[in-house]
Parts: sequence; C-alpha cells; structure tokens
Amino acid sequence: MVVARPGQTAVPRDIGFFEWFFDADTWTGNGGIIESLIDTVVLCAAATAVAALIAVPIAAVLAHYRKAQVASTWLVSLSRAVPTFAIAALLVPWSLRRGWGFEPWPIFIALFLLAVVPIYLNTYVAIRQVPEGSVDAARALGYGESSVLGRIEFAMGASLILAGIRVAAIQVVATEPIRAFLGGDGLGRYVRDGFGQNNTTLVVGGIILIGGLAAITGLLFVLLERLVLPTGVRRLVRQQGERQP
Amino acid sequence: MTTHSKRRTVAKLLAPLVAFGLVAAACGSDDDSSDSGADTTEASGSETSEAPGSASTDAAVPDGPTIRLRGQDFSEAITIAEVYGQYLEAQGFDVEILTPAGFRTEALDGIQNGDLDLIIDYIGGTQAALAPDAPPSADPEEIVAVIRPAVEEIGGVLLDYSPAVDGDAFVVRGDSEATTISDVAGLDYVLGASSQCPERPQCLIGLEDPEIYGITFADFVTLEFGPLLGEALSSNEVDAVIWNTTAPQITDQGFKVLEDDQGLFPAQNIAPIVSTAVLDAYGPALAGPLDDLSALITTDDLLAWNTQTDIELRESDAVATEWLESKGLI
Repeated sequence: MVVARPGQTAVPRDIGFFEWFFDADTWTGNGGIIESLIDTVVLCAAATAVAALIAVPIAAVLAHYRKAQVASTWLVSLSRAVPTFAIAALLVPWSLRRGWGFEPWPIFIALFLLAVVPIYLNTYVAIRQVPEGSVDAARALGYGESSVLGRIEFAMGASLILAGIRVAAIQVVATEPIRAFLGGDGLGRYVRDGFGQNNTTLVVGGIILIGGLAAITGLLFVLLERLVLPTGVRRLVRQQGERQP
Repeated sequence: MTTHSKRRTVAKLLAPLVAFGLVAAACGSDDDSSDSGADTTEASGSETSEAPGSASTDAAVPDGPTIRLRGQDFSEAITIAEVYGQYLEAQGFDVEILTPAGFRTEALDGIQNGDLDLIIDYIGGTQAALAPDAPPSADPEEIVAVIRPAVEEIGGVLLDYSPAVDGDAFVVRGDSEATTISDVAGLDYVLGASSQCPERPQCLIGLEDPEIYGITFADFVTLEFGPLLGEALSSNEVDAVIWNTTAPQITDQGFKVLEDDQGLFPAQNIAPIVSTAVLDAYGPALAGPLDDLSALITTDDLLAWNTQTDIELRESDAVATEWLESKGLI
C-alpha cells in the first residue's frame, strides 16, 4: 500500500527555486502543485460565487429602495476590521466538535465573509449612483420597479458590481492559504511547510504561486467585464471616467 | 471612479499580508504562550536576600555580575525561567529575569553574543540546534557528551541536566488498543503532526522506517503545534498526534501517551546553560545551587506547571513562586 503523505516532504533546503519549480514531481502526485491549485481554485470560486449570489441581490434591492444606507456603509465596512484568520481559527474547533472536520466549513465561512464585504459595498454604490434622470426616464416609459432595477440600474451599475466581485475574488485567493495553517491544504501548504521546515525555496514558491493565481484571477475578471458589459454601457463608463478624473 | 477602486484594491491586498504575518508569528511557537505579561520580577527575592530564609547555602551573599536570564516564549519555558530566576534571587544572586522572547535560536544566540547569562534548554533540542549532524539518542548521557563541547564553543557551560523531561510524545485517544508505538503498526491510523515531522528522522521517517517502527499510516495531516492537536484527536479527524509529554491537555482530555519502545524520540531533559564569563566569576557558588535545583524538578512538576498556566490560566511567576515555596527553596 502506498502511504498517503504530504507532497514536497523531502524538498532539500539548498534546492534552487527554478530547480524545484520545474521538477515534474513538484507538480504531480499527492500534494503536488496541480492538486493544490485545484483545491485552492475550487474553494475560492465557491466562496466568491456564494458571496456574490447572496450579496448582490440584497445590496441591489436595498440600494434601489434607498434603505439601510448607514448600516450598509458603516456596518459592512466595519466587518473588514475582523481578521479572516481569527474567524477561521475560531470556527475550526466548533466544526471539529460537530464532526464536520477541518474542511470545508471554517475556511469557507471565513472566506465568504471576506468576499461579501466588497461585493455588497460595490453593488450598493453601483445601484445608488445611477443618475436619477435615467431612472425617471425609465419610469416615464412605463417601467415597473423591478424593470427599473433589473434593466436600468443593474445594467448601468454592472461595471462597478463586477469590479466588486473582482476585488473580492482577488482577496479570497490571497487569503485562502491560511487554510493550510488550520488542518487543510491548498497552495498555502508551500508557505506552511516552508516556514516549518525553514525552507526558503518553498516559501518563495508558495508566494509566487499564490500571487500568480491572484494576478490571473484579476485578469480573468477584466476580460469578463469586457465580455458581459453591453457596448453602450461600456461607452458610458468610459465617458464617466473621463468626466471625473 | 477607477482610482477609487484601485486604491481599495491595494488596501485589501495588504490585509492577507497582515494575516500572514500573524500566522508566521503564531506557527513559530512550540506552545501557546499564555503569559507575555511576566515582566522582570525582581521584587520577589531581592529584599529578602538578607533574610535568614536561605538555608541551603552559605550566609554570605555571592558577589559578582548580574545574571540575566530569559525564558523562551512559550508557557513552560517561561515558568522554568521564573523558577530558576526566583531561586537564584533567593540565594542572594543579582538576577534580572527579562521579558520572555524568542525560541531556542534566540536563547543560544543570547549566550553566544553575551546578551544572556543563563538559559534553560531541552538537551535534545540543543543538540538539534548545535550539532544537527550527530545522531539523536534516547539516552541523555549520549546527548550530553555531544553537546557539552558544542555549548562551550558558543561561550557557555552546560550544567547537570534535570530528570524533568519534555520530549516528543506519540499521543492517541484513551480508548486506543495500543500501548506502545509498535502496536500502531497494524491499526491503519491517521497521523497528525507539525510540518517538520515528515522530514525528520525522529518523526515520520523513523515511524515509517521498517528498521525502526515500520508503521504504515492511512494518512498524514499537517497540524501546527498547540490545542488544535487535541481538538483533531478528540473529533476523530486523526487517530494519533505527535505532541509533547508535558502537554496538560493529554490527561485533561483523556488521551494517552504510547511507550516509545524502540527509543525513537531523543531525550529532552531540561538543562541550564550558563555563560562562561558568569560561571568563571562565581565558580561553584553558582553551579552548585543550580545543579541542586535541576535535580529537584521532575516531569510531573513541568506537567503541573503547564496545567496551571495553560488550563487554569495562572501567571508563570506566581506558579514558580508557589512551587519554590512548597519545596522550601525560597
């Protein structure tokens, strides 16, 4: 029987970064980069997607009816002050005692809370800043409240909403490695093992992989914004950008 | 608009960095350090130095330089430093107990560069730091033979080691059928241990080595040292963890330590290391009392201290004073 053991266990301390990074064994197998990358991407995508599915509708509806303005800006901003690591670390014993294991709930909930904040705030602002004139014009044309929100405010705020999701996704990718310090794996394992084994190559490798993934995530969202934004709205956004330097 | 969201992005990208800083600081510790408030405590012994209480040594107050000592930054080491420091104060020595900081590396560096005059370390750990190439041993005498010259090289003298041991412990749940580590071989256990374990011959490598234990684990989970080990064990996430023998949670949570029947784990008796300069200044007047004290401390004492500091959340200096008083040493 093959013993399941963490990958990268026998990475020598004096190995050069490139030597490590371009070794096929570094990428494949149990605890290899590919497996760790999939672990990380799945969790990050899930946390960001759930946060967006919950935060965008709530923020949009509240902003449309001009409700909870103080609570939106103050309470939600305040929640940024709570460190994600502390939340996850507090949730781990709770999850273990319920028999749910180390993963995925503690780290998922912590990342979800991290992602909710920028998505909620950006969506609220996006809907709120749609010019009154556009909304009034839509109402004059006979649009109901749901159509005003869905077809006017949402379309005109889409760029800012997507920017919020992008910021959230990047933050989540950059924060997800804490799970390696709480009984999990993912790309953070290289940072954790590197610190534990006093192996700088592993720490640097982990940082590059995590930073690289965060950069790619940001890039994908920029491309996504290009794809999904209607041409008219994109032109509008550009004009607004020119008007307010 | 764009500048606004860009600035926000930068601020948020910094947040995980801060989180990582915390993690990095936390994962370096061997134990959860509950007391950082144990500042210099010179008050307890210095006024009583003329008092006739110190019976064990000569009435004459030893004359010499101030002895600066500092505990490593986890609760057991902090209590140990308080015990040695308060004891020396009661003996009439001029002692300064510094705020606990750092770990073994910082302690040994302190001896080497003259910032510290007395540290108390675990001999197996000292060997790993100063003579990493020498084979580890479960026999403290063998380790002392290796590290005594190595300690001299950094400008220190290794005094007698104590019978008190805080070494690696193979810990399982109380209902496990195993009593020795060898018994685990057929049980298909999941092992939880620190990220150092898989690369250490005295840990996973030795446990799996067919010449030593030859255990085949079902899985390995990386867990940082501390209370998380106990949580993982009691919730059946893992079946065994590598902990330390004096972790108070072991008895507190109904776990048991398996016997290291193949002698894999190195001996980890505590032993004081004094800087050569200070020892030369005082001579046997210092070494004698320290050896007497080391001989009195037992593993059960370490466990009792840790229970008081980590479970009952008492301060290390108070725990040390109480123990010294109970032994009639101050």
